[in-house]
Amino acid sequence: MEHKRIAKLLAVIWSIVAVLPLFFGSTNFIMHILIMCLIWSVVASCWDLIMGFAGIFSFGQVAFFVIGAYASAIITAKFGIPPIFAVFLAGVIAAGIGILVGLPCLKLKGAYIALVTFAVHMILEPVLKGGIGRAIGTGGSRGILTIQPMNIFGYTFTSSEPVPYFYLMLFVAVICSGIILAVIKSHWGTAFLALKDAEEFASCLGVSAFKYKLMVFALTSFLTGVIGGFYAHYVGMLSTRMLGIDLFVTLMVILVIGGVGKFPGAIIGAFITIAINEMLSPLGSFRPITLGAMVVILVLLLPDGIVGMFEKIFLKKKKVRSLN
Amino acid sequence: MLKMTNVTKKFGELTAVNNLSFEVEQGQVFGIAGPNGAGKSTLYNLITGLYPFEGSVTFNNGEIRGLPPHQIAKLGISRTFQIPQTFPSLSVEKSIGVGSHFGSRDGFEHDYVEKILRFVNLIDKRDSSTGQLNLLDKKMLMIGAALATKPRVLMLDEPMAGSNAKEIMKLMNLVQRINREMGITIIIIEHFMKVLTELTEKLLIIETGTEVCCGNPVDVTSDPRVIECYLGGNND
Repeated sequence: MEHKRIAKLLAVIWSIVAVLPLFFGSTNFIMHILIMCLIWSVVASCWDLIMGFAGIFSFGQVAFFVIGAYASAIITAKFGIPPIFAVFLAGVIAAGIGILVGLPCLKLKGAYIALVTFAVHMILEPVLKGGIGRAIGTGGSRGILTIQPMNIFGYTFTSSEPVPYFYLMLFVAVICSGIILAVIKSHWGTAFLALKDAEEFASCLGVSAFKYKLMVFALTSFLTGVIGGFYAHYVGMLSTRMLGIDLFVTLMVILVIGGVGKFPGAIIGAFITIAINEMLSPLGSFRPITLGAMVVILVLLLPDGIVGMFEKIFLKKKKVRSLN
Repeated sequence: MLKMTNVTKKFGELTAVNNLSFEVEQGQVFGIAGPNGAGKSTLYNLITGLYPFEGSVTFNNGEIRGLPPHQIAKLGISRTFQIPQTFPSLSVEKSIGVGSHFGSRDGFEHDYVEKILRFVNLIDKRDSSTGQLNLLDKKMLMIGAALATKPRVLMLDEPMAGSNAKEIMKLMNLVQRINREMGITIIIIEHFMKVLTELTEKLLIIETGTEVCCGNPVDVTSDPRVIECYLGGNND
């Protein structure tokens, strides 16, 4: 998709999202879901940038999110740093770990990168629960039960009043999507796509695989870490339950529904997936099965996701217009 | 300009390139030929930094062994691949722009990309996706992207493979223009002996990674050792 069209689509999406509190502002439950949609839209967009655009099958996005969340909570609790600064420090920590994970991945391709990054995801839970985790303040198996709420210029954002936090998260999501768009539009984006399509040829044309692959690891883990920090200060407590398969699968579904490599499909996918997931809650234990079946049907019918479907419709219309 | 000295590359027990030495002079069109599996493309992979190896490769008297591919490209060595490699996610213009943006020592120059698009006859397809191109255009695109890096040496890996007579003439003409008009040194791997004898000033024949003979193309192609190894015996 052309960059101008992505920017226009982003403007439409965020404008619609911005007016939602006018209709649902008084219902805390719906506002909470909308805040979570904003958080997952950023995580999924970052995952899309590294997997869909850069072609790196990183499965470590949830791990970076959890690292960011724990790091921000620990930094505020241990060092007394205000949450607004702590979330950025958490992003830096997540980016540092992202680079460390990215380094061995430079020598690997495809499924092997998925294995290494998923191993990070798998290792994280015992680390956070074990002696190392307890020593740095993760609270072990119990987790962190009290996290300082977000405070900016003396105003405290609490989960009991979700509308202000919704707008704060909307602001963060807009900034993150703007950064992702700027990256896609810049020569970074060209380098990512060239390396994804034909790495050897791109390298022989002067594209440094080392530099750009590490950059995408650093950037996506930074943004995911930051949003993880905001999540921690919103929910007020953390445990390693986030590292379970549920969140991982939900994010995958978001990507599939939105369209892999079809930014801003991940944002649309986040809102649709979370909404469907909530609507299916009366089904109880049948919910995951129903959601899974829907994903299978969607993948078969819309292999490029919703954005891919609109792209095809637009291209068809364009062809018809040019023929006329 | 480009000198290889005692270059050896082994893949386990297989020796793909065996103690090979040769030199390419500035402005030359240098041909490399040999039967399938002779190690020709491996040789390109060694020069462009894709594989590590033993021995030495110097470019303008500087050692390039051990440098990563993108740095070698920046020094002025560019290449194409036997099986066309393109960027389906990018348009034709953007694909050529990759070479200019990342590989050129002068940085991205829009006018130069425009010039290359005309040079490789892809100006009318500049907005097309590279996935939509036919085989000849894909080869032209690879050559164009490599030229956009402003190379001093262009290494072409079997550019005529899979082409018909008309396309071969077009490609031969393009290679000659790159060499004469742009002053770029060319190394070309090719199976078509007629193409090599017409285009090149010096021809190296290799078999199982070892030099069979090297010299004037007319002399080389009539050498009994070449006929034996490359053409599979005397054609009487």
